[in-house]
Formats: sequence, structure tokens, C-alpha cells
Amino acid sequence: MIPYLLFATFIGLLFHGIHRKVIARIQGRPGPPIWQEILHTLKFSFKETWIPKTASQTLFVAVVFVAIGIWSGALYVLLSGGSLLLLFGVYLLHKIVEHGMGLSSGSPYGKFGAIRSVISAASELPLFVTVIAIYLFTRSLSIADIVAYQEMYGPLLIVAFPAAVAMYLIILSKMHYGPFSIIEAKEIVSGNMTEHFGVWRAGLEVGYALKTYVLLYAFVLLFIGQLPLALMLLVMLLVLISLSFVCAITPMLSPYDTVTVQSLVTGALVIYIVILVVVMG
Amino acid sequence: MFNLPTENIGGQELFVLEFGDIVNYFSPYTAALFAFALIFTALAIVSRPERQVDIAFGGDAYYAKEVDVDLLRFQRFMAIACGLATLGAMVSGDVFNFTLFASLVGITNIGIVAAYKNKHVLNAAFQYGIVAMLATVPLFGGAAIILASTGTLSMWELFADGVVVPIIAKAFLVIGVMGEGMAPFYVAKAEITRAQGAPFILMVHVSSLLLFLRVIEIVISM
Repeated sequence: MIPYLLFATFIGLLFHGIHRKVIARIQGRPGPPIWQEILHTLKFSFKETWIPKTASQTLFVAVVFVAIGIWSGALYVLLSGGSLLLLFGVYLLHKIVEHGMGLSSGSPYGKFGAIRSVISAASELPLFVTVIAIYLFTRSLSIADIVAYQEMYGPLLIVAFPAAVAMYLIILSKMHYGPFSIIEAKEIVSGNMTEHFGVWRAGLEVGYALKTYVLLYAFVLLFIGQLPLALMLLVMLLVLISLSFVCAITPMLSPYDTVTVQSLVTGALVIYIVILVVVMG
Repeated sequence: MFNLPTENIGGQELFVLEFGDIVNYFSPYTAALFAFALIFTALAIVSRPERQVDIAFGGDAYYAKEVDVDLLRFQRFMAIACGLATLGAMVSGDVFNFTLFASLVGITNIGIVAAYKNKHVLNAAFQYGIVAMLATVPLFGGAAIILASTGTLSMWELFADGVVVPIIAKAFLVIGVMGEGMAPFYVAKAEITRAQGAPFILMVHVSSLLLFLRVIEIVISM
């Protein structure tokens, strides 16, 4: 598991670099090299590390370990074919990490990021609807069962397309520089990450890299099916590039607009679920 | 072992904790939620609050707020109580116990911020209190409908094949838990985050999210 964790971290950081590069090229800028985020993480690992004097010191440090811990756990659940509900749980608990990170420092910028994180809680609701839609088709929330279902009946991407769109939106809402990235907007410096520097930032970069890897892997696994690793990485890359296109051409929404968009999507999906329930009995 | 009838949802049953005819259970799912609640309860016990930095209006000056020790003690007490209620809700094998723990979470959430002397925070706590109290109507109503229609509140019975729980009861349970702090009702408590004491304020959100995660498992399993 540890070699795979290191591999997933490396790929996740590389994906972050590719994400930045694609956005830059679409916007007519040269952009950083694709390994920039790997260099960032290494750089932060060896920089001077401190905890702000005003911070809640234990919480300030603990959230970094929680971030790495929950996404490592999510990767294990995904690879072992565990419960999709656990993955859903980790996604929701990531909100606590974002929130704790911002509040623990005492910085006003961190606090604004944390409050925006609370406001953007509506982004979890489409995932809930996705989980229910998948359950209605497969009658199981075990990832192994969902993969087996797709081997028999074909990809869920086709039969449960609206659920796939919802999951895509969920991944988009967690991407850097995206329309929903209000918690790290530049008008509040780096938002909830403002005060986390040095090793703490490196730890967060590792946690976020794992998050990106897990979410992209989960999307492919849940809506296309199990693929050989090389092909899986290629499809994940294609999904990532499509997300980068959306991030490059969409301005960041205001906090309340993000809630509106996500709530509208959730409303549309609830109607889809009701129709599914009626049709499928 | 009692053979949890919903292995394909939260995973296989790992361990049960019996209190007479009330049987709490740990599956990979509920155990993970329990562990997470335990971590943040422990953090609330060992952490000191942050000193919030505020910018003075109209200039470049800023100041750091002092920690009020009496407030700290009260917030920590309520956060621990909230953590214990959340722990109970995570592994409960009985719908009524779950609803009791959920309402206790709502009460302790208000308690965490109730002693903070700030008009905006107290207003938010008051509004959130009203929403949380209103939400207990569908919460307990859902449990009552389940009991009336199936004759039991034990999840071990309700999760079995052949037991049909009315969809309105499931919807009431979800709405009741959402009222304890999930979207869209969380807007009532957004201003609560102005309060000092990050490790304790965080318990407000941890408990709400964990309750929501647990109720989803319950309604899907029924």
C-alpha cells in the first residue's frame, strides 16, 4: 500500500502541474512546467516551518495529518472495493479539514476561507444524489459490486449519465483555479491555507494530490469500470484536461452564486432520482 | 454476531455492543465515522483555542483577542458533550436512540457558542436554535411513523428484507437531520464561525456532517 500511496501522490501532483499548464496554454500564457507542483512540495518540505503565535497549535498541525489520513483511507477503500458511502464520507469530512485549517490559525484571511468553506457545503449534495442514483441501478454501494455490475451491463456513464455529470461537477468544485474555488480566492490571499507554510503546506499538498487522484480514479471506476492501470491513468488524464478547460474559460463565481449553481444542479438531480424511482419501481 | 443484513451498503458487521435489546454495531462505515468523531473530540479536549486576529477599522492596525479561560472551559465542556452525542449517534442500532442523539447534538451545538459575548454570534445561535428545534418535529415524526408502520425501531429489524418503511418517514428523518446544520439550513449558523475557539466551533460542523452521513446509511439500508 505504501508504494502505491507514493505513486498516487506523485501522479496527483503531476496532474496538478498539468492542470496549471493546460489552463495557462488556453489563456495564452506559457505556464509553469508540469512538474512544478512536485517541486513546490519538495521545496516546502525543506523550508523553515513555524506555527503562528496566535494559532490553536494542536488543531493547526492535526488538520494536516487528518487531510493525509482521510485521503489515504479513501484510496484504500477505492482499491479494495469497499463501500461507496465511505468515499462519500471522506469527501464530506474533507470539508472539516478545510474549515479547521482556516479557523485554527486565527488569521482573518484563514477565517474568511473557512466561512466560505461552510457556505460551499451545498457542493456535497450532488454527491449524495449520485450515490443514490448508483444504488438504484446496482442495488449495492460496494465498489466491487458496482464494478461487477458494469462488467455485466456496460458503463454507468451511459445509463446514469446525469449522475456522472453530478460527479463531474463535484470534482470540478474541488479543483484549484476553478469556478467554485472560492475558499482559496486571491482576494483573501490564499484563503484557509494562508498561514500553513513549510512542512505543513507540503503535507497539505500531499493530501490534496491524493484527493485529486482518488476523485478522478473514482469517477472512471464508477462510471466506466475497471481498466488496466495505464489505460486508467490515460482516461483520468483526459477527464482532468476537460476539467482544466472548464476552469480556464470560467471565471470564479461569487460565493452565493456557487451555492445557487450547486443547489440548482441538486434540484435537477432530485427530479432525475424521482423519475428513476417511478420508472424502476 | 448478529449478521447485519446490509453488508453491501456499509460493509460487514465488525463488532456489536449490546445494551439489553438495544444493539449498537460497528461496520467499516460506522466504525470510520466513530473514529473520526473520536479524533475531533480528543482534539477538543487537548487543544487550546486560537487568538483571533482582527483588523482595526479605518487603519493598518490589528489586534489579537485574548483567550477567556471561563469561556474556554464552558466551550470545551459543550464540545465534549457534543462529541459524546455524536459518538452515540454513529453506532446506534436503534432509530429512536439515533434521533435522541441527533437532537442532543443540536442542543450542544448551540451551547458551544451560547456563552460567547458577541451580538452576531448570539443572533446566529438563536436563529440556529429555532431551526434545530423545528427540525426535531420531522426528526421524531419520522421515527414515530416508522414505529407505527413497522412496529419496531430496531435497525436490525428495519434493515431486513420484507420490512417496508414508508418513504415519507425516511424523508422526515433526512430533513430532521439536515435541520441540525446541513445545507441549506446551515445558513442560519454561518455567523457562528465568528466565535473564538476553533477546536470547539469545529465540533459544530463535525457533528452535523457525521449525523448526515449516518442518516444516509440508515435511510438507504431501510
